Amino acid sequence: MSVTLAIARREWASLFRLPVGWVTVALFLMLCGSVFALAVLNPGMAASQRAFFGAAGWLLLPVVPAISMRLFSEELRSGTIEPLITSPVREGSIVMGKYLGAAAMLACMLVPTLLYSLVLWRVSARPPEIGPLLAGYLSLLLPGLFYLSLGTMCSAFTANQTLAFLSTLFVLLLLLLGSALLPNLAPIAWRPLLGYLSFDARIQDFAKGVIDPRHAVYFVGASIPPLLLAGVALRARRLA
Amino acid sequence: MLDVRDVHKWYGSVHAVRGVSFAARRGEVVGLLGPNGAGKSTTIRMITGVFPPSRGAIDVDGHSTVDEPEAARRAIGYLPESAPLYPEMSVDGYLAFRASLFEVPSGDRKRLIERAIERVAIGPMRARRIGTLSKGYRQRVGLAAAMLHEPGLLILDEPANGLDPAQIRQMRETIRSLAQNACVLLSSHILGEVELTCDRVVIIANGTILADGTPADLREKHAAGRGRVVVEVGRADAANAEVALRAIPGVAGVQTAAGDAEWVTLVVESTDPAGIRAAIGQALVRAAIPCRSLQAEAPSLEQVFTKLLEQSRTEAAA
Repeated sequence: MSVTLAIARREWASLFRLPVGWVTVALFLMLCGSVFALAVLNPGMAASQRAFFGAAGWLLLPVVPAISMRLFSEELRSGTIEPLITSPVREGSIVMGKYLGAAAMLACMLVPTLLYSLVLWRVSARPPEIGPLLAGYLSLLLPGLFYLSLGTMCSAFTANQTLAFLSTLFVLLLLLLGSALLPNLAPIAWRPLLGYLSFDARIQDFAKGVIDPRHAVYFVGASIPPLLLAGVALRARRLA
Repeated sequence: MLDVRDVHKWYGSVHAVRGVSFAARRGEVVGLLGPNGAGKSTTIRMITGVFPPSRGAIDVDGHSTVDEPEAARRAIGYLPESAPLYPEMSVDGYLAFRASLFEVPSGDRKRLIERAIERVAIGPMRARRIGTLSKGYRQRVGLAAAMLHEPGLLILDEPANGLDPAQIRQMRETIRSLAQNACVLLSSHILGEVELTCDRVVIIANGTILADGTPADLREKHAAGRGRVVVEVGRADAANAEVALRAIPGVAGVQTAAGDAEWVTLVVESTDPAGIRAAIGQALVRAAIPCRSLQAEAPSLEQVFTKLLEQSRTEAAA
C-alpha cells in the first residue's frame, strides 16, 4: 500500500509541476467560472448550481483525458517505465498508484469551484440546499473517476500521448452516446438491462439532486475493468 | 549472486539470445561486450525482469527471476541505458521516491540517500530539478538511484555513454568502489574502459557467448601472435628500414602508419613483440637507420574483440 501511495504522490505532484497540469486546471476553472457567472448568477432566479454542474460534466469529457493521457504514455515514451517495472512493485500497485494520483488531481481541480457555492450562498436571498449541491459534486466526481479509469487504460496501451487522449475521448463519447441512445433503440426485451447499464441516466439522477448509493457503487464498479485492463497491458509488456 | 543458465529469447521468429550461460559473484565487475544487436541489452533486460527468458533460467541472489520476480528484483539495482529519469522531479525527491519503491525502512532512508549522494558526488545538485542537469549528472543520479537500496547485484547498461573523459574516470572509480560489496554487471561499447574497469569480460555476438574470462586470459587465449612493435624511423630511410625489419626472423609483417615530415611510424607485427625488440634495434643500427623510438605493444582487448567477431561472422556466413 505504501508503494501505491508513493506512486500516487509522485504522479499527483508531477501533474502540478508540469505546464499541462496547470493549463488543464486553469482552462477548466475559467470555463466553469464563465458558466457560473453567466448561467447561475442571474438576479431573480432560484439559488441553484444545476446549470454549472451540467456544463462542468461536459467539460470533464476533454479535461479527464488531458489528465490521464500522460500517466503511462509518457513513461513508455521516455523510458522511465523501465526503472519502474524493474523495481519490486506489482502491476496492480503501479496502475492503482497512477490512477489515485490522477484522481487526487481531479479532486484538487474541483475544490476551487466550491468558491462558487460560497458566492451563491452570500448573494442569494434564500440559501441553496446542501443536498443538490452534494449530488452535483458527486455527479462530477464519480463519472470523473470512471472516465479516469478509461483514460488510464488507454494510456497503458500507447507511448503516444495524443493517441491516448484521442482514444479516451473516443471511448467516452461512444459510451455516452450508446448510453443515451441504446435504451430507446434496442429491442424491448433488452431495454431494462441497457437502462440499468446506462450511466447517462445516473448522471441525470444526480443532476436532479438524487443521491443514490447504488449509483456510487455503479461508477466505482465500472472503473474496475478498465484498471484491470491497464494492468494486463503493463503485464503484457513484462511478458513480451 | 547471478546465475544465468542456457537462456534463450525469441522475438517472434527472431532468435535474439541463443543459450547464454554465465555466473558472477559478489566483489566482481563483469563486462558484457558485444556489437549492436548482439543480445546484450536483451540479456540484461531478462536479468532485470523487464521480460522473462523464452527458455532457460536466471537466479539473482538465489531467487528465480520467473518464480520469485519481486525477491529477485529487490536484489538488483539497475541503471538502464541513457538513465531515464523524471525531469520535473528534484534529485532528492527522485531518490526518496526510489527508496519508497524498494520499501527501504523509513529509519534507514535518510542515511542511504545521503550515502548514495555522497558516493556519486551530486551533493550540490540535490535540490535541482533533474531536467536542468547535464548528461553526466543525470547519469550519476541514475547510478545513485540504482545503488540506493544496497543491492547485491548492480546492472549498468552503458554507464559511460555520453560522459566526458573526466566523468568516465570518476564513474570507473565509483564502479570499482561499489564492487567491494556487490556484483557489478556492466555493458559497454568502450573497450578500453571495460579493460580498465572489469575483472572479467563476457563477449557476446549473435546472441551467443564467444568468450568469457579475465582480460589477461582473453588476450592470452585469443590474441596470441597479434602483438606488435611500433618503431619511429627517419623518413628518408623508411624503405630501407622496412626491408631490414622484414628480414628479421619472427616478423609477420611491417606496415607504415602515421608520421611527420622527418619521421615515419612503422608497425611490426610479431608473435613475440617483447622478445623481438632487441633484434629490431640491432637491425636498425646495422643498417645505420636513425630511430627515435621503439615500443612493444601487448595485444589489446580490442584486438581480441575484433578477432572473435571476425571469426563469428565467418562461421555465420559459412
